[in-house]
Amino acid sequence: MSNYIATIGVEVHVELKTKTKIFSNSKNGYGQMANSLTNVIDLGYPGTLPTLNEEVLNLAIKAATVLNCKIRPEIHFDRKNYFYPDNPKNYQITQFATPIGYDGYVEIEVDGEKKKVYIEEMHIEEDTCKSTHRGVKTLLDFNRAGVPLIEIVTKPCMTNSKEAKAYLEKLKELLFYSDISDCKMEEGSMRADANVSIRKKESDPFGTKAEIKNIGSISNVGVSIEKEIERQAKIYDKGETFKPQTRRYDDKLGDTVLMRVKETGNDYRYFPEPDIPFVIVTDERIKNVKKTIPMLPDERREKYLSLGVSEINTTKLIQNRNLSDYFNHLLEEKISHQTASNLLLGDISAYLNKTEKDITDTTLSKERFIELVNLVSNSTLTSKNLKEILEIILESKDSIQSIMKSQGIENITDDKEIREVIQKIISENPESVEDYKNGHDRAIKYLMGQVMKETKGKANPKMANDILKEELQ
Amino acid sequence: MEKKLTKEEVLHVAELARIAVTDEEIKKYQVELKKLLDDVEKINEVEGYDDEILIAPWSNHTDLREDAEGEMLEPKQVLENAPRHSGNYIQVPVVIGESEGA
Amino acid sequence: MKYLDKTITEIHELLKSKKIKPIDLVEEAYENIEKSDLNAYITLNKEEAIKKAKELENVEVDDNLLFGLPIAVKDNICTKGLLTTCASHMLDNFLPIYNATVVDKINAANMIIIGKTNMDEFAMGSSSRTSYFGAPHNPWNTDKISGGSSGGSASTIAARDVLFALGSDTGGSIRQPASYTGIVGMKPTYGRVSRYGLIAFASSLDQIGPMTKNVYENALLLNVISGHDKMDLTSIKEQDEDYTRLIGKNIKGMKIAIPNFFVSDIVDNEIINKIKKTAKTLEKMGAKVDYIDMKYLNHAVTLYQIIAMGEASSNLARFDGIRYGHSKENPKDIRDLYFGTRAEGFGKEVKRRIMVGSYLLSGKNAREYFYKALSIRDDMKQEFTNVFKKYDYIIGPTTTTTAYLLTDPMDDPRKSFMDDVLVIPVNMAGLPGLNMPIGFDKDHMPIGMQIIANSCEEAKIYQLASALEKELNLDLNPWGGKKDE
Repeated sequence: MSNYIATIGVEVHVELKTKTKIFSNSKNGYGQMANSLTNVIDLGYPGTLPTLNEEVLNLAIKAATVLNCKIRPEIHFDRKNYFYPDNPKNYQITQFATPIGYDGYVEIEVDGEKKKVYIEEMHIEEDTCKSTHRGVKTLLDFNRAGVPLIEIVTKPCMTNSKEAKAYLEKLKELLFYSDISDCKMEEGSMRADANVSIRKKESDPFGTKAEIKNIGSISNVGVSIEKEIERQAKIYDKGETFKPQTRRYDDKLGDTVLMRVKETGNDYRYFPEPDIPFVIVTDERIKNVKKTIPMLPDERREKYLSLGVSEINTTKLIQNRNLSDYFNHLLEEKISHQTASNLLLGDISAYLNKTEKDITDTTLSKERFIELVNLVSNSTLTSKNLKEILEIILESKDSIQSIMKSQGIENITDDKEIREVIQKIISENPESVEDYKNGHDRAIKYLMGQVMKETKGKANPKMANDILKEELQ
Repeated sequence: MEKKLTKEEVLHVAELARIAVTDEEIKKYQVELKKLLDDVEKINEVEGYDDEILIAPWSNHTDLREDAEGEMLEPKQVLENAPRHSGNYIQVPVVIGESEGA
Repeated sequence: MKYLDKTITEIHELLKSKKIKPIDLVEEAYENIEKSDLNAYITLNKEEAIKKAKELENVEVDDNLLFGLPIAVKDNICTKGLLTTCASHMLDNFLPIYNATVVDKINAANMIIIGKTNMDEFAMGSSSRTSYFGAPHNPWNTDKISGGSSGGSASTIAARDVLFALGSDTGGSIRQPASYTGIVGMKPTYGRVSRYGLIAFASSLDQIGPMTKNVYENALLLNVISGHDKMDLTSIKEQDEDYTRLIGKNIKGMKIAIPNFFVSDIVDNEIINKIKKTAKTLEKMGAKVDYIDMKYLNHAVTLYQIIAMGEASSNLARFDGIRYGHSKENPKDIRDLYFGTRAEGFGKEVKRRIMVGSYLLSGKNAREYFYKALSIRDDMKQEFTNVFKKYDYIIGPTTTTTAYLLTDPMDDPRKSFMDDVLVIPVNMAGLPGLNMPIGFDKDHMPIGMQIIANSCEEAKIYQLASALEKELNLDLNPWGGKKDE
């Protein structure tokens, strides 16, 4: 196979997290009884007309903002006409002439190099109904009909599958973090199509395009792009050509398969939707929407690292939106943020997973968590003891110290008491003292062990360590 | 001789409209549709207008609806007027291939 | 009996003083309909109407003049649980599961829906002869058409069966049949009456309006059905008003324009003469009448063909035999379901318009025809705005001829558009327009005049119309008292 340059563009459909549908007030929900979330508008009943959900406009503005798009101040909708059983009116209300967002970008990082993926446009439209094929019949469930979508279209600016995957990961992170969508590809709330063409050199015109539709996961987007590049290269290598076409990724085959050849381009007979007058996107609305955008992942990453949180903890926190939001309340506090992140990602996460709870479902207030972090940082509470009382900490409202006391976790912090024990241990272990003086570091660990044994683990380890070193001088 | 569309042209518009046509109907449409299409050609006689379009004589901008749930239909009502259904689903003959749109 | 021949205030007094009950009016209406025998209705709502009338016996008669009065509703307006066919085989079994907003308003005003009126299939036509159920007849001469598409509503009002009817007007479908049958029909400003529940033909042109035998009753019915509706984004947000408020005021000093196009050689001489005579009458009443040139009026039909057929091809795409309506038996596959259902369900006028409309929007045609039409439409509206800077009204004939024979040929697909050549411009600009009878031709068929005013000036239209109505004092009963003999 000779070398080709690939040109890749990605189109993503994202379902918006609204309470109701875009053009009607029936519920926007997933996984409910078939045809239980509809009204006459969703079903395309004769005589019905659309109304426009305010939250859809707000979320679209939000998306345009986080994707660095310009926002059009006046928009209208268009009808895309095509017959299909999942399309109740046999036209879809979408935006063709005046997409709400345009000329945006998303920054990705591939192999340590930063790159911008350019967004051509993003627009608002309605979802179709869900069809299930059963033998000789197809079953239609209109619950999804009219669920609000935004479609985000990149410029053909990516050159390999890694970039496409990084773009999708980044897009997902941005949209999820700004509460625009669940972005669950497995439930279809995020769906991706990839356009792939290849050519020999930059100076050549673009090659014939194949569109791979509705790919079910980000990793499959990667595989399908690679497979498609390979397939096209083989054809060109043989000196052959192919027609523009639509393909899909077959999970079982691990390859793309042909759906249909595009003969003359689709004839969607677009025209402006007369039932929905112009929508004005005011500066004030944009300003108010911007206020609702939470701290985005890139900013979080930068903040966490600057507070001394390790690279790995930073990544893990950002992957867990709820913990990251919780953590964000502590950014201004004078605590060990690394310890705080360890606690959240370690024992606390284990508890949350086990009990299927959310951090906000526990009794761990910000104040109690700060107390906990400080007790752990200064070793007043050992990790062994923490494990014993974590459940109580997360289920009661008492201060951590009073829980420790009531659970018999004492902590000898009396300097004199500890010093007496240490002096006793030193006098009983002359060889270890000799070893320490000869530079054997291991000896101090042995001596510490003896101190803890003598105090039944109750000596404050940090204090004991400090005093032991002093006494050994 | 009467001006006519070709048979292919009639079949093309029938395809767009998703309407089955018999051979006899095609013959009729070849003449009738041609008359209407000739009529609309008169638009090219109009002069002096600007590019601004009027989509509809709207008197105001779109009012936005609050994102609050309203009444919905029972699945049984959804099926009431549907000629074919199965369980809670509306049924059609099997559809091969993916949706053209969305 | 014949209570329905009395004036609205007389009937109201009788109801209020309990001398009659709503059921008397309902029964009389059904007797009238039967006697008239004009095929004006597709579905009668007898059982429900009687039930409603009896329920109203327990409701106190308030100041609403329309309380307890029967009303006929065009069959493209959705009525919950009552067949709504659009005069099409496609919907001949269709029972809507919701009410149009106007139907809710009629019910709230305690009016009684007597039945669903005949019309052109999906409102496409100008003589109601494209109805799947056969055409309604004109009570002035039952061999003649009652116009279209609201032919059934026009016919039943003209025949004095009931006092009130609803029509819809996309390119003259209220005013043109009103003209042919000698009644008053108003197409309100676009957005004045909610379209929610009106089965769409061309969304940017459609408007529901009242059809009555006189101007005052027309304004009363508009009071009931108009108003902002949050279910229709194109609905006007102006405050509610009383459309009767200017009725009875004189028209001294009013400036009226007659576009020369409206009295050009496309119009029968007899009609032009009647219009000119009426203009003289208006001048005598104190108005000033000018003949003016207006751009674009002669192109309105072309714009209408492109816009109405284009929008219709999309609006009627939903009739596919899947969720409601006619469906092909035992379809082989999904293609057969679509093509078969639509071939069987739609009549030929509808099919023609859908096909042409699809073509006009397809590929590069969208630019060459549809968008171009929208551009000219904008300029045409501007032209009206300019005229209304100088004039209070534009008037002219409503139709180029009086009603023609039901047996006239239907083979020219352009004929139905040309019948509406004078009334279409009003829909293009979204303006209010009213037809009122101004006399008869040599065969004693009614001649109508249209009155057009600027957006939201319905009350002003009623002012001129009622003044003229009083002045002309025409005998508009087609039976001339013969029916009861």
